[in-house]
Amino acid sequence: MRDKKEKSNIGLTVILIFGLITIAFPLYMAVVIAFKQPSEMTNNIRGILSLPARWSLDNFKEAMRVTDFWNSLVNSLFITLATIALSIVVHSLIGYVLGRSKAKSKFYNVLYLYLVSGMFVPFAILMMPLVKQTARMGLSNMFGVILLYTVFYLPMNTMLYSGYLKNLPLALEEAACVDGASTWRTFWTIIFPNMRPMHATVAILTALGTWNDVMTPLVIMSGDKNTLPLAQLNFQSQFGTNYNLAFASYLLALLPIVAFYIICQKQIIAGVANGAVK
Amino acid sequence: MLRNNKKFLFGTTLFLAGLSATGCGKGADNGKTVIELLHYKPEAVTYFEEVEKKFNETHDTIELKISSPNDAMTVLKTRLIREDNPDIIGIGGEYNYSNFIDAGILMDVSDFDGLSNIRQNYLDINENLEFVPTDGIYGVPYMANAAGILYNRDMFLEYGWQIPRTWEELLALCEEIEAAGKLPFYMGYKDTWTCLSPWNSAASSLAEPTVCGDVNRGLTTFTDQYRVVAEQMKTLLQYGPKDFAAYSYNDACTAFARGESAMFMIGSYAVPQIKSVNPDINIDSFVYPASSEESGNYLTSGIDLQFCIMEDCPNKEAAYEVLRFLLEDENVQAYMDNQNAIPCKEGNFKLASMLDGMKEYIEEGRVADFQDHFYPAEMAADALIQTYLLDGDTDKFLKRFDTEWVRYNRDRIEKVQKYETEHGEGEGK
Amino acid sequence: MKGNGKTENKKGKTGAGYGKGKWREIIENGKSRTFLLITIPIVALFFLFNTLPLIQGVVYSFTNFRGYGSYDWVGLRNYIDLFRDARVGNSYLFTFKLAVVTTIIVNVLSLLLAMALNSRIKFKNTLRGLYFLPNVLGGLVVGYIFNYFFTYILPELAKLLGFEGNSMLANSKTAWLAIAVVCAWQSIAMNTIIYISGLQTVPEDVYEAGSLDGATGWFKFRHLTFPLIFPFFTINLVLCMKNFLMVFDQIMSLTKGGPAQSTESISYLIYNNGMSGGQFGFQSANAVLFFVVIVVISVTQMTFLGKKEEQL
Repeated sequence: MRDKKEKSNIGLTVILIFGLITIAFPLYMAVVIAFKQPSEMTNNIRGILSLPARWSLDNFKEAMRVTDFWNSLVNSLFITLATIALSIVVHSLIGYVLGRSKAKSKFYNVLYLYLVSGMFVPFAILMMPLVKQTARMGLSNMFGVILLYTVFYLPMNTMLYSGYLKNLPLALEEAACVDGASTWRTFWTIIFPNMRPMHATVAILTALGTWNDVMTPLVIMSGDKNTLPLAQLNFQSQFGTNYNLAFASYLLALLPIVAFYIICQKQIIAGVANGAVK
Repeated sequence: MLRNNKKFLFGTTLFLAGLSATGCGKGADNGKTVIELLHYKPEAVTYFEEVEKKFNETHDTIELKISSPNDAMTVLKTRLIREDNPDIIGIGGEYNYSNFIDAGILMDVSDFDGLSNIRQNYLDINENLEFVPTDGIYGVPYMANAAGILYNRDMFLEYGWQIPRTWEELLALCEEIEAAGKLPFYMGYKDTWTCLSPWNSAASSLAEPTVCGDVNRGLTTFTDQYRVVAEQMKTLLQYGPKDFAAYSYNDACTAFARGESAMFMIGSYAVPQIKSVNPDINIDSFVYPASSEESGNYLTSGIDLQFCIMEDCPNKEAAYEVLRFLLEDENVQAYMDNQNAIPCKEGNFKLASMLDGMKEYIEEGRVADFQDHFYPAEMAADALIQTYLLDGDTDKFLKRFDTEWVRYNRDRIEKVQKYETEHGEGEGK
Repeated sequence: MKGNGKTENKKGKTGAGYGKGKWREIIENGKSRTFLLITIPIVALFFLFNTLPLIQGVVYSFTNFRGYGSYDWVGLRNYIDLFRDARVGNSYLFTFKLAVVTTIIVNVLSLLLAMALNSRIKFKNTLRGLYFLPNVLGGLVVGYIFNYFFTYILPELAKLLGFEGNSMLANSKTAWLAIAVVCAWQSIAMNTIIYISGLQTVPEDVYEAGSLDGATGWFKFRHLTFPLIFPFFTINLVLCMKNFLMVFDQIMSLTKGGPAQSTESISYLIYNNGMSGGQFGFQSANAVLFFVVIVVISVTQMTFLGKKEEQL
């Protein structure tokens, strides 16, 4: 289209590449420490930045044992995937209902504001009562955590979905109505598939939020089962941290999400952007 | 009820996710009484795993389940909130224990036969921890710890340094160490709780053991009692690393392990961490000499681990059986070897070598409890001390300690004073 | 709000007035029934796990509950104490300082980064991908890694440059800045992406028209680009502010409130003293106040920026 496009700004590119040091450096440090042995640890800079004497996976093996890696990973995956699935179904439904009704019905508009205002409730105030409540309902486990996440992300996602509805012309569903399809069916056959870009956004934002969360599983499941981030607390026992093991374990905890990110990088960035544009 | 729910959901989990998980939802289907013990010493997990196995092998009617969670206090409290209490809890003799008694969630175990073998001074310590005196006994002291000063024995031998017996000797020693080009102390004051180690040690000898209770009764103030303690803390800073609030407990352990300092003011619990960095280090300890008279020094020792039975435990006898088992000499010795701890039980036990320097105090019973066992956690006395060390204003600090104390202990003070008026002027305790 | 004139007209539930055929009315009714059937359980769930505990929290704020055992009603004592408690006051000051400064840092840097990443550069997608990476990492783990950096590496680097070389985290005047850096490091990514998507909505011809008028550099940005991406600025500002006001993970992993209690954020204090300590009732009151503050700030921000948006 435009011939100028061929010329890249090399200077800016170089600056941006240099800027990457700020991102790479902390990670480099983590990798180096993760491979060292406790006896290689020193409190001075040369010792800290130097490469490990030998590249051995022992720390990682030990870290995997201490954190019960595979079980923790499976728990984390289960919680995250179930939350995503539930969020997409529940939030798109409510987003659709509210998005289509809030303009014409005061009742739905109030409901919409009620739900969205939940975004501002700090978790700290809910924590204690929730612990009590989930326990009474027999939900002090992964299911409770999944349910809670679904409720926590409801405000944000409802906003995203009902905002996205603006892009879907009403004519689409009206046509289906004329054909005699029920509202329920219309939703599943017409609306739901058409909201796909927003599903991706919701899935990504929800995944990032749940995967790294420590607090909710910590207080709700209380020692019952570990998630991957929760297992990292193993290394924070008051009377002794093995940094090398800890860093190996941190890297192991970061690995799945980084892998996921590398694979779905484009979609993630597009999805996040999509959420902002609504 | 809750256990059943757990089991049900565990089953559902299996069904839904196809997980192959272990360790939860074991019920009492085999007709055994299940006793769950939750303790706050994850560092002793290997010992407890061993004990659990041994117990279950030798008992047909009771099944012992031991949980050693990380961040155990949070876990325990959330379990209390959700009324999913374990049967036995293993906690320290500190403020939480006092609170638990006050909240009425611990069982009176006065009729437990094992109590007769527990050293009296530890039972007294527990008595002292009660907000207002009660008739019952709510904890069975198991292990004590001792805080003082760890030192690098090889370095001391190499330079011919002597163990100081008075405050003046300690200062002289520090000068001597500095003159030899070494750093006397390493400090991990970034983790505020490490400030409490020297603080407690100094206060054991310099302040009345009943100071906190006395303050509550309006008999004294911290400004009167803690001034010298605070000043000593400040004095010692000059013998530590320049940026003393920069390093965490771990950093300090690493530095001490690598011989960067001759001494380290911390409890014996630090030894495993130090040895993980340098397995060959030869560590011993001595009592913090706070007083100018040797006879004025006390070893800081408190209950590090005790077992309490929850008020709602349905199987008191089974719980007692577990306690009896834990208190068997063999198991006590195993714990000591594992954690360098000091037994609360009378008997012929072999103390860890790094406690050599404290042995005579332990045997003579010249011990005083950690002062911070009386401080409520939310008051953050450790952070107050750190703040003081950073700004150095002793008067301001002591005044703040007094006001914050009142602020965070209001309900407790009210309770104590009400008790006092109801029970007349009971002298002493 | 909706651009659909057709629906706008059909107000009210009594659709009887429409003469457009009976089937339509039935469908409409069927539709509203389905809508209700969808809404009720979901709103009930939300009420059960969000509003109900919130109400309970408010109730606890009038007690001296420790989290377990017996407790008494104390009336408004907790709320009165809140305004007398220096520690709570300091935590609000610290949290606000951190939130405002970090929000500014993050927005300036991510706007710059977004413009750079949106211009004609090589490896555009790869660079965007790499710059987004910090956002997917967990806050706690990142905090632990940076903790190491601030304790050992930065002081040594400072010494090489001739400074004194004290740890930023050990000084109550600088510790908050270290926290701001870590918060910014992680959240710049997200904000950059939002700005990039904003910049992509700016049509090319705006620039072309601008270039004809001789608009360049700062002037072009100030008068052409910025007004067009203002809605994205609003989103970023509100989200940043809210997230940083609730800062917790970074405090937990970097300073645990120290040194000298200078970095106790509101969330940290509520968790630490309410859950771990025995101040549950009091900290519930604090949480209620915190909730009100967050709502007030967010609403003010949105109305203020909304007005600005209209002006531009």
